[in-house]
Amino acid sequence: MAVLEATGVSKVYHGRRGTVHALDGVDLSIPKGQLFAFLGRNGAGKTTFIKVAATLLLPTSGEVRLFGEDVVAHPEAVRPYIALVPQEGRPFFHMTPREHIYEYLRVRGASGESAKARTEEILEAMGLRPFEQEPAYRLSGGVQQRTLVAMILATEAPFLFLDEPTLGMDPFGRRQVWEVIRRATRKGSTVLLTTHYLDEAEQLAEELAVIEGGKILYRGAPEALKSTVKREVRLQFSGGFTRSELGEYGEVIEDRKRLVLLTTRSRVREITERALERGSEITVGPVTLEEAFLELVGRGIEEEE
Amino acid sequence: MSFRSQAYAALRICYFNGIMPLWRSPLLIGAVFLTPFSFLFFLYVIAPRALFPFGVVGGVLFTALFTGNGMLNDCAYLRLERQLQQVYVASPVRSLTYILGMALSELAFALPAMVLFLGILLVVHPFGALAFAALVGVVLLTWLMACTLGFFVSTLFQQLREIWPLGTLIFSTLSVLPPIFYPATVIPKQWQWVAYLAPSTYAGQLADGVVGLGGGITTSVAFLNTPLFDLVGLGAITLLLAAAATYFARWRER
Repeated sequence: MAVLEATGVSKVYHGRRGTVHALDGVDLSIPKGQLFAFLGRNGAGKTTFIKVAATLLLPTSGEVRLFGEDVVAHPEAVRPYIALVPQEGRPFFHMTPREHIYEYLRVRGASGESAKARTEEILEAMGLRPFEQEPAYRLSGGVQQRTLVAMILATEAPFLFLDEPTLGMDPFGRRQVWEVIRRATRKGSTVLLTTHYLDEAEQLAEELAVIEGGKILYRGAPEALKSTVKREVRLQFSGGFTRSELGEYGEVIEDRKRLVLLTTRSRVREITERALERGSEITVGPVTLEEAFLELVGRGIEEEE
Repeated sequence: MSFRSQAYAALRICYFNGIMPLWRSPLLIGAVFLTPFSFLFFLYVIAPRALFPFGVVGGVLFTALFTGNGMLNDCAYLRLERQLQQVYVASPVRSLTYILGMALSELAFALPAMVLFLGILLVVHPFGALAFAALVGVVLLTWLMACTLGFFVSTLFQQLREIWPLGTLIFSTLSVLPPIFYPATVIPKQWQWVAYLAPSTYAGQLADGVVGLGGGITTSVAFLNTPLFDLVGLGAITLLLAAAATYFARWRER
């Protein structure tokens, strides 16, 4: 059963630079308990969709239903069941991680006992114990972000909106957050996550949608997205070859000034031998979501509009 | 969430956004004291002694009015810089609860200065318990009016740098120009009605009236010269601003 159903959702902004379609007829349904990821470049429409679905922004047209309630007509009916990590949010400067979590739970109506228990649990799970008594202004950006995510995940709300939840975190912190997000879905929460970290989407999402220019270009499992790339192997070169030289072995992508060759297994030996002769550094691995994204969208996920 | 839970949520917001920072950085109180006390000192030095009680009442009202400036800046900061208002929108907390919680936290900041001004007033111009209760009522209504105005204005902008000068402009205009620190009789009689364009004038008139200072605006219409008119005026403006803040302000963006 779908807990989130979006039909023809559009958001149009009229500005000095003309009309911008931040969302252009988005249809989406997310079943209960699923961890769904929205993948897209900055400005693709991910945050706009989250804002509409989380009752923060009115759409220009279309309908979003959460737990059967229309988020535009009856936002008050939806809000008790949701919680949101906003993009680039920051905690109150004077409060500690413990206070943030506890106070937010109390404001949302949790009893003192329940709020205390959930605060202890999430502090432990998110690795925030060493910082629990430090005011936010003394914490690094990554720990501040972890505090904000902990505050929201502690609510155990039936629907969690996580807009770039691991932005600015170190790899260890990201993994801790991933584990707590997984645990939330095991407990029955549905999660809509936006990210431009492809490894995050690959690790977490049961299903994902790629959004570009306000339109959904792909929707399905991460593995299925990778299988849309016709080559099997990814080779990354640092010097030694020109684009045209590599072109004879397969598809060449220039990504952040690196040359990436997508080719078949049968040609790997020949290319690596040539690379060794030329003293070129080479990295060989399976095709990742990054290539699938590049092929689908035509641009890298880190590229700005 | 029930009405009781919403009221409790407002008190918790007041606790962590008002009382907690005040407790940890008591110097913040100094910032609230500084401007009204400077005005009062200035009046003490240059104005006739008979006008000093007006200045003290002005200090109380100035402090109440400037909670609106704090509200404007805090709400804009939490929405635009910290993205924290969004966290409360996507929750069972209602807009009115959030506004009340924020307003109460501004009151927490202003309370020490207000208490001190009221203490000075009782010394320089003693008055009865009933008048004291009425004055507290006027101050609370002024605080509500200022905070709803502050919240409403905070939601209209997308840039903090636009908001900072605007807050100072609005609340300085409301608290310094109208007859708050001085009696309305100082204004030429034919121009006294102009003061009614500022919502804070009603508060000043009421406050001066309830403590028996007099010096109110006089017009040819008898009803306009009564405290009831000032009370209705202040109440109506507060209700209007509260309605605008709740229904038209961008709790949800358009």
